[in-house]
Amino acid sequence: MRGRRKIVCGAWLGLACCIAPLLSAQPGGHAPATRNVTDAAGRVVTLPAIVNRVADPWHANNAMVLMLGGADKLVATTMQAQRQPWLRRLYPRIETVPAAFNAAGEINLETLIGARPDVILMAYDGSLPKWLDTIAAYHIPVVLMPNTSLAGLESAARITGEVLGPSESHLAAEYIRYFDGNIRRVRRVTDRLSLSERPRVLHTSSAGILTVDGRSTLIDDWINVAGGVNAADTSGNGRPVSMEQIVAWNPDVIIVGTAPNQRSREGILNDPRWSGIKAVQTRSVYVNPSGAYLWDRHSAEVALQVLWAAKLLHPRRFSDLDLNRETKLFYSRFFRYTLTDAELSSIMNATAP
Amino acid sequence: MTKPRTFALMLIAPLGLLYASLFVGRFPVSPAQVAHILYAQVFPSAVDWPRSVQTIVLEIRLPRAVLAMLVGAGLSISGAAYQGMFRNPLVSTDILGVTAAAGFGAAVALLLSRDPAQLQLIAFAFGLAGVGMTYALARVYRTTPALMLVLSGVVVAAFFSALLSGAKYIADPESKLPAITYWLLGSLNAASLRSLAVALPPILAGSVGLLLVRWKLNILAMGDEEARSLGVRTEWLKGIVIACTTVITAAAVSVCGIVGWVGLVIPHVGRMLVGPDHRDLLPATLSIGATYLLFIDDIARSISSTEIPLGILTAVVGAPFFAYLLRRTRGTWY
Repeated sequence: MRGRRKIVCGAWLGLACCIAPLLSAQPGGHAPATRNVTDAAGRVVTLPAIVNRVADPWHANNAMVLMLGGADKLVATTMQAQRQPWLRRLYPRIETVPAAFNAAGEINLETLIGARPDVILMAYDGSLPKWLDTIAAYHIPVVLMPNTSLAGLESAARITGEVLGPSESHLAAEYIRYFDGNIRRVRRVTDRLSLSERPRVLHTSSAGILTVDGRSTLIDDWINVAGGVNAADTSGNGRPVSMEQIVAWNPDVIIVGTAPNQRSREGILNDPRWSGIKAVQTRSVYVNPSGAYLWDRHSAEVALQVLWAAKLLHPRRFSDLDLNRETKLFYSRFFRYTLTDAELSSIMNATAP
Repeated sequence: MTKPRTFALMLIAPLGLLYASLFVGRFPVSPAQVAHILYAQVFPSAVDWPRSVQTIVLEIRLPRAVLAMLVGAGLSISGAAYQGMFRNPLVSTDILGVTAAAGFGAAVALLLSRDPAQLQLIAFAFGLAGVGMTYALARVYRTTPALMLVLSGVVVAAFFSALLSGAKYIADPESKLPAITYWLLGSLNAASLRSLAVALPPILAGSVGLLLVRWKLNILAMGDEEARSLGVRTEWLKGIVIACTTVITAAAVSVCGIVGWVGLVIPHVGRMLVGPDHRDLLPATLSIGATYLLFIDDIARSISSTEIPLGILTAVVGAPFFAYLLRRTRGTWY
């Protein structure tokens, strides 16, 4: 038993020795062959010391990997990530990365194994991914990251950085500082608001049918931070609700999430059934911006979403906040991409570039 | 013939429930307010209620309730006609592939992010096209034997189900996939005056058509040979029944997704109440189906703040009720 472990250790050491000179980052021989990462489910996952090949079945997290500078390590992605128009603009190679995961999150095992990932990054909402047992036979480590809150997004950024390597980890720390800074900046104003000063916000999530995002979600979190109250008192993302329930909630503001936002917005404004709702009468129906991923979901851009929503809900209290400038700064600082004015408006209106 | 008491009940029950549906729901509206609002539509009078209450009653609940009745009635009468024509109590409205085809049409419309009006038209067109394929496939020597129809229906339904799975496979999981999945479970949530205007003509026309030929269904139920020997032009009659049923079902699927169970079971409930004679059975299924789906939809939209898909409720609420009837009548009604 002991002997076998020695052999395995030796093999890893040998591997590390082979890779190390190529990367000229690790002093040969002394570097540990593996390292441990504790993930969101509390599992201690053993990873190779240096991760060069990453599979990311979590649509939103692909943009996070790109932001942290690790996108060239992506060896397997999802069909959904490949279809994000802005992700393709920021990182054209995403289209050629094999999609080992379809839209519903099911895996193509052969594509995945063929991609030889060192690690799989995955979202965790309290239940383990259903393909975990299938993967277990191939000894590919799976790192789970939380996806149900703003705090969860922060730790997803941290864990993603930690898995990818030191330089990505460094960027993750920088991002988290920025993210915290934005939340503090907004909170300084919104924490003082009484309940009556907080507009009631409805966030719709799906075209074609009436679904809304309720409590215990990341969306509920940013609504609260931005100084609003979620009008939907259900729990969970994308809950189907009846038309009259929406009239009964009577939101002050409606934010339309997911494409085609602009058309859904016009649909709401022109439908007689919505006409009695306060948000429609005051024409406070807005399109949620969308970039490398949907700003309102588990994207890196949630850092901007809190600013955007705060300015939207309390324009006078945030009159000093220049959102266009913030957005351009964000993309140049974290995505190393300089937005033109036309591109900026494409992101703000959730259209393809 | 039907007893007058049963007849009166079948007239009063759906109308009474329709009125009740206007003051039942998540938003509190009193029965008196409903009466007042309805009265004010005919005889203009002073408005003393908030605008949102009027929107709820007239724009949201009324179209939805009427649509529920239309769909329930349409699916039930179609089911009854098919069960008679195929001489098989297990036949339902989707036997010729209309549901699968219309469902695929709706999924395509959702994938392409079409608005609800276009979705209805696309789903409706696909439903008709699906049954058209089945009918063409089943036609041998200018006749359409029941066996050929059923088998062709299986083929067409399987084909469109596979396409539907394909549509789900490529759908965007953040918006499109939940929309398709949810839509397939059936819901009247999208009901509006406009969707009512889309669904009313085909369902009405199809139902009237079936009512007109209902006495001939009795003869057709004896079998093609028998019916022909009695001078009934069976192919012609079958064509009419299939056309009417298809138009009704495609319209129903196009406005509220796939609502199972109603077309299968309500005809049996009708037989328990009025017997197997199609002259009584078809009008009875209209009333029972309308009442049943309206009742189910009232539950779907009222019981919790999130909407419950009809496909779940029709069976969960309907199965125990049907089981009870089954035990009480001990299957002597067929």
